[in-house]
Amino acid sequence: MNTTKKTALKELSPDQIFQNPANPRMFFRPEELDTLLGSIRRYGVQVPISVYQDGNRFILIDGERRWRCAKKLNLKQMPALVQEKPTPLENLLLMFNIHALREQWDYLTIAKSLPDVIQLYHSENGRDPNEIELSELTGLTRGQIRRCKYLLDLPRKYVKVLEQELHLPKASQQLSEDFFIEMERSLKTIQNRVPSAVANLDIARDALIYKFRAGTIGNITDFRKLSKIATSISNVGAKELRVRSALKDILDPNKKTGIEEVYAQRFELQYDQRKVSLTIDSIFEYLEIAGEHEEAINPDLRNKLVELKTRIERVLGL
Amino acid sequence: MAFDTFDPRMKMVAERALAHCRQQFGGNGLCIEQGINSAISWRPTFFCRPTSRSIVGIEVADNLYPEILKVAAHDIGIYDAPIAVYQACSLDAYQKDTKQTKVNQLRQDGIGIITVDEDGRAIIQHPCVPIAQLIPEPRLENEIRNLTSKLKVSFRAAHKTYQTNIGQGLQQAGQIVEAIVNSMAAQAVKKGHIATIPARAAVADIIDALYQENRLKDHRAALGAARSFIKEFRNTASHPAKTAKRAAEKMRKCRDGFYEAIETSTKLQKVFSAMGYTLTVHITH
Repeated sequence: MNTTKKTALKELSPDQIFQNPANPRMFFRPEELDTLLGSIRRYGVQVPISVYQDGNRFILIDGERRWRCAKKLNLKQMPALVQEKPTPLENLLLMFNIHALREQWDYLTIAKSLPDVIQLYHSENGRDPNEIELSELTGLTRGQIRRCKYLLDLPRKYVKVLEQELHLPKASQQLSEDFFIEMERSLKTIQNRVPSAVANLDIARDALIYKFRAGTIGNITDFRKLSKIATSISNVGAKELRVRSALKDILDPNKKTGIEEVYAQRFELQYDQRKVSLTIDSIFEYLEIAGEHEEAINPDLRNKLVELKTRIERVLGL
Repeated sequence: MAFDTFDPRMKMVAERALAHCRQQFGGNGLCIEQGINSAISWRPTFFCRPTSRSIVGIEVADNLYPEILKVAAHDIGIYDAPIAVYQACSLDAYQKDTKQTKVNQLRQDGIGIITVDEDGRAIIQHPCVPIAQLIPEPRLENEIRNLTSKLKVSFRAAHKTYQTNIGQGLQQAGQIVEAIVNSMAAQAVKKGHIATIPARAAVADIIDALYQENRLKDHRAALGAARSFIKEFRNTASHPAKTAKRAAEKMRKCRDGFYEAIETSTKLQKVFSAMGYTLTVHITH
């Protein structure tokens, strides 16, 4: 990308400035705008917005919130850095980089724009960018890109639900992007490990959304336990029939069964046993090394090992 | 395109509120997302001019009492034309203010509320008057707190009239002041402090008679206030405003007059206590 383009600082009327049709940012929370508006009212627009000239119009690259506030406050002029007109890919990547570095866009905003970046990159380079290239281009981490992909794969009706939620003030939002990302991740795990537990993905999604809204699922992090239930066959040797039955209970909208209770009652013990077993393995490993190095066991550790031995004998009745 | 910075849900609220306002106030002088005047730091979502002397501005937002309306309220209060301000929001946002905290703040500051439900039905939940005309109820109660119960009731009634007709409301407030002056004169005559006053004497003449009485010389400030109130505000209500600027001036004058009537009444009431007079008011609205 050409980084040596000329820029000029100008005072522009907010009426000469127009939204950038390629701006991926879709959600402007009223409370954030309110705070900015108060600041601009008191101190004016301290940081110029970035625009490019297109005929007699100026198109926003960066600073849509400042521009909206300036318009709302009926300001006659606002400072703007006028840049040369970028190519469509440059235009999109400019905004991506500005926002990814300075403030976090909503994942849905990014997710919806990633296909455009990929397509524009393809038309310039004759191939799609890989994940590393996409990360370098957009300034997003690979983890962020992966999270976005979960949202990108969501069916339209759920994207609509999420969009409606994102327009609400934060305090009123029930379903967040994190909710959908965690839910999708766990459903993907179920599909891979116990496909017979999910006959219809949308029915499963509806059930989980319903249960979350109703409080049957109390926390977004519960979805990680749902994944653990699905992977319990390979991880802790749970019986497939038992796992399938547990998952079906959770994904059945007519049963008031939450993830937490199923996990706690049917799987937590096995996972705890596995955890203890792994810890014992690591103790074994250490003791083997300790046999060769005397100083590896100090008096404090020795006391704890003796205490452990006593407790094991008591619990096992030895 | 109009309202294109709104999301689809708020765009619907804006469109329905606009349609409702067209019905209520007419589409005269309708402007969308434009400033009313460069002196006002607020660009309403839309505004219209129901008459050549009045403006109604509407801000569409789902966060009740957004910062911009606080800014606007100040500028509008001192602007040269009467402007009534409404906030239009979804019914859902309105109902979420369960304790009506924000709703009450809006109402107290003279801002009306229009709600739009999910089916697109718009309703004016709280009507409003131009901000220049506003006498908020809490302020009224504070102003009249030292008056007798009867005077309080009379001023509340005058305020009620004022909210729908500023001229008549001020006239009613003026009648309260006149009634107090008449009562004072009757008491002064009864106690032999002044000579009998002709039945149809003008209020100004009654005040003059009281003013000249030596025994009332310590209370000339209160009597002077009553005289200047009568002189200043008696005819305010009678002159119709021909321009928006005059209409705003008249509103401000009526509002000032209303406060002045309360203040004058409070001062006159103190004279009654000091002189041992009994305050009996007969007000015929």
